Amino acid sequence: MPIRRLPEGTINRIAAGEVVERPASVIKELVENAIDAGAKSIDIEMSGGGRDFISVTDDGRGMARDDLLLAIERHATSKLVGDDLLNIATLGFRGEALPSIAAISRLTIASRPHDADDAWSLHVTAGKVKDPEPTAFGKGTRVEVRDLFFATPARLKFLKTDRTETSQAADAVKHLAMSRPDIGFSFTDSGRPVFRYGAEEDLLEDGSLKRLSAVMGRQFSENAISVAVKKDGISLRGYAGLPTFNRGNAQAQYLFVNGRPVRDRLLAGAVRGAYQDFLARNRHPVLALFLDAPAERVDVNVHPAKTEVRFREAGLVRALIVTGLRDALAKAGHRASSSVADAALHAFRPGGGAYSNHGQRFNSGLAEAAAAFQSPFDHLAPGARDTVNTDGVVGETQTGGALADNFPLGAAIGQLHETFVVAQTADGIVIVDQHAAHERLVYERVKKALAHDGVATQGLLIPEVVELGEDGAARLMARVEEFAGLGLVMESFGPGAVIVREVPALLGDTDIQGLVRDLADEMAEYDSALSLKDRLDDVCSTMACHGSVRAGRRLTQTEMNALLREMEVTPHAGQCNHGRPTYIELKLPEIERLFGRR
Amino acid sequence: MKITIEQVALLSALSHVQSVVERRNTIPILSNVLMSAEGDKLALTATDLDMAIDESVTADVGQAGATTVQAHLLFDIVRKLPDGSQVELKLAGDASRLVLKAGRSTFSLPCLPREDFPVMGEDELPCKFSIGAPELRRLIDKSKFAISTEETRYYLNGIYLHDAESGGVAMLRAVATDGHRLAQVETPLPDGAAGMPGVIIPRKAVNEVRRLIEGREDEIAASLSDTRIRFDLGEAVLTSKLIDGTFPDYSRVIPEGNDKELDVGCGEFKAAVDRVSTISTEKSRAIKLGIGAGRLELSATSPDSGTASEEIPVGYGGETMEIGFNSKYLLDITGQIDGETARFSLADAVSPAIITDPEDESALFVLMPMRV
Repeated sequence: MPIRRLPEGTINRIAAGEVVERPASVIKELVENAIDAGAKSIDIEMSGGGRDFISVTDDGRGMARDDLLLAIERHATSKLVGDDLLNIATLGFRGEALPSIAAISRLTIASRPHDADDAWSLHVTAGKVKDPEPTAFGKGTRVEVRDLFFATPARLKFLKTDRTETSQAADAVKHLAMSRPDIGFSFTDSGRPVFRYGAEEDLLEDGSLKRLSAVMGRQFSENAISVAVKKDGISLRGYAGLPTFNRGNAQAQYLFVNGRPVRDRLLAGAVRGAYQDFLARNRHPVLALFLDAPAERVDVNVHPAKTEVRFREAGLVRALIVTGLRDALAKAGHRASSSVADAALHAFRPGGGAYSNHGQRFNSGLAEAAAAFQSPFDHLAPGARDTVNTDGVVGETQTGGALADNFPLGAAIGQLHETFVVAQTADGIVIVDQHAAHERLVYERVKKALAHDGVATQGLLIPEVVELGEDGAARLMARVEEFAGLGLVMESFGPGAVIVREVPALLGDTDIQGLVRDLADEMAEYDSALSLKDRLDDVCSTMACHGSVRAGRRLTQTEMNALLREMEVTPHAGQCNHGRPTYIELKLPEIERLFGRR
Repeated sequence: MKITIEQVALLSALSHVQSVVERRNTIPILSNVLMSAEGDKLALTATDLDMAIDESVTADVGQAGATTVQAHLLFDIVRKLPDGSQVELKLAGDASRLVLKAGRSTFSLPCLPREDFPVMGEDELPCKFSIGAPELRRLIDKSKFAISTEETRYYLNGIYLHDAESGGVAMLRAVATDGHRLAQVETPLPDGAAGMPGVIIPRKAVNEVRRLIEGREDEIAASLSDTRIRFDLGEAVLTSKLIDGTFPDYSRVIPEGNDKELDVGCGEFKAAVDRVSTISTEKSRAIKLGIGAGRLELSATSPDSGTASEEIPVGYGGETMEIGFNSKYLLDITGQIDGETARFSLADAVSPAIITDPEDESALFVLMPMRV
């Protein structure tokens, strides 16, 4: 068959395959257009999972008659200034969305520029354009898409159920709404309002957090700490969830680069790295981070859907995220998840069992915390009261009062079941899991020692050659100095192999092949050396576990107070190595409420 | 099958064979010991499919026959029987139970048929030689500690036994390494061992042989092919598969031209290392040697436990240097030096050190330093 040039319609349908994957991508493209048009309020409607009808209405600057015709041409856009692909300040720039959508659906655009008196509408059916007609329309633009994918029946077959497609579309809008609190969004599905976010007036911290909490739930704002760091012209702001407020998957991690929602392995890897000490491997933090970098230092032209980005200085960005998050978490070291205390309170209330599911929904650790919290009191029958260790309480009441007022974690009152330390603070009580808390203290000490002295390395008499394939070897070699800092000294050994010369002495006689392979895989997936740190931390935490006070050990008053004082000065003492809380604090008003005093 | 045997004889034989049997097995018969009675002998066999020990003891055989019973169970019973008692073993009617009687005790133990017991194939073992038990003990003792426990480098999980030439003399050489340190011990090549294949004897077999030759002074007959090795100790015979792998070319990691020679008093050095390392962190056990003319300063630092240092007089005339080692490795190696002096041959702080006994050239140890 001779080679021929494909007709325009086919070209558009092929392009549509990349850009328009499902109804959610149509909505994403249209909403991005609306945002780029300077809209203050955007209304999205859809029905039939987006198959039947999608409409996006904005109050942006609108288009004149001739612009309408150009807008549905491929590679026609108003967003690129000159020909500079390096300096992209808008969400879109490819000029592909509208023609792609137009090629596979029945599209109607109605628009009126702010300064014009007449509105025009344009109909396109599977790429066939009718002449624009005058129409009645307020200021802004409305794009209606009917019978999406009718021109590409194959794609239609691959769509999921209406419900799934709708929720995907809603997610896409939520994503965009998170980065633009200044714009109002409403989303309606088959006439039923799904959500409505009013435009936030206050564009500083507060408005942003309000919008995030509207999208991600109230609990997020209660358990989030603010992150704001800036370095070399790149700034990171946003909110990071406390480690005790964690999830089973990484779905609730929202990352934005210059306002653009992205799913990027570099960013995801940096987040994992930052939370590594605080969460078990299978738990994931909840956060929303906004990274702003000068446009010329980020390449967004990587993927048609623009969910991936490239940074000119990837190392700087990673470091910024890791240090930014770590600093923020260090400051919040003493705020365990508010939901933990909530759950505990629910457990206390008569009929509290009915509420306990509430806690479990967002944190499996809570149920445990609640149960652990509840059990001592369940058993506090008169006969069992002697299990409360009230060593020296009487003698120390006076000093205890002073301690309670002067220290955040207060004065130890006693020990319950030789496992939990109860302390009185100025305005409430604190219950400490003695093993978890002490383990964390020892762990921090071991880690500090490691960081201070560096990792001792054991030279290998017989260096180990690991075959990895060229990609893997090159990825490891690119970060060879970072590994050396962690005690793993490698050199390149021909194409596709590395030779390991020294290993961290802590690991002893270890499976070097396995370690290096894991690292290469992680470099591919997350772009950071998690498993090496993991293994070192594992050793540290085993040492910490062995070196710490166990549950079941009776502590004297002095020991308990010493534990509390040390927790106050140790960073990250609020949670154990696995993201569970080491202590919970109940405020007096909350306790009073339990007894109906308030 | 029906036999009567002295408790002491049965216990000694059982203690030899039962250690081959793993505590947990997926194949039930592997937990058992095969007992077969014939003539005036009771033969016991135990195996883990990789190695087998056969041992014969004199017994009063009333009726020849064979069966298998759980090895650890039988061993525990016989161990607890009164010394010097006579043990009667009798297969019950349908061969499903072995009845053991001694004094007033009676045990009835479940049996599995002997036909199911795996037998290690009888391979041709062309290379045969005999070696004195003390010599074999020395080869094993001085190299065993360096065997790797890391399963992924399986070819290091044993002692590499081969013939080698040392100073123009043919030697039988044992080498073991875990990648951090290496031990090389040799003894004059016994007759018949010339041209033997280089073989890697797995750790478990090494340990079993070592147990069997404890305290013996006689000659042990060894025979081997490139897949199997057998040690014949008269009444007991141990056969083991060999590790199917290539031992690395260890001669390349033994440095030549380490010109700085440090002579330390072995006992004094060991005691000092042991003392100073009390401070070093539990996991890395790092200890630093600061070497100067005529003196050696050992030191360790730990953020938790403080610092330690000790100075001992040594024989050293080279330039001052510092080098770090894992203190456990140092103790392991110097523990293998029988003489009064241990000689360290060093090049620099990152190159391997050679440790030898200046009066005994047949053993040599290589240790990779730590960077602290």
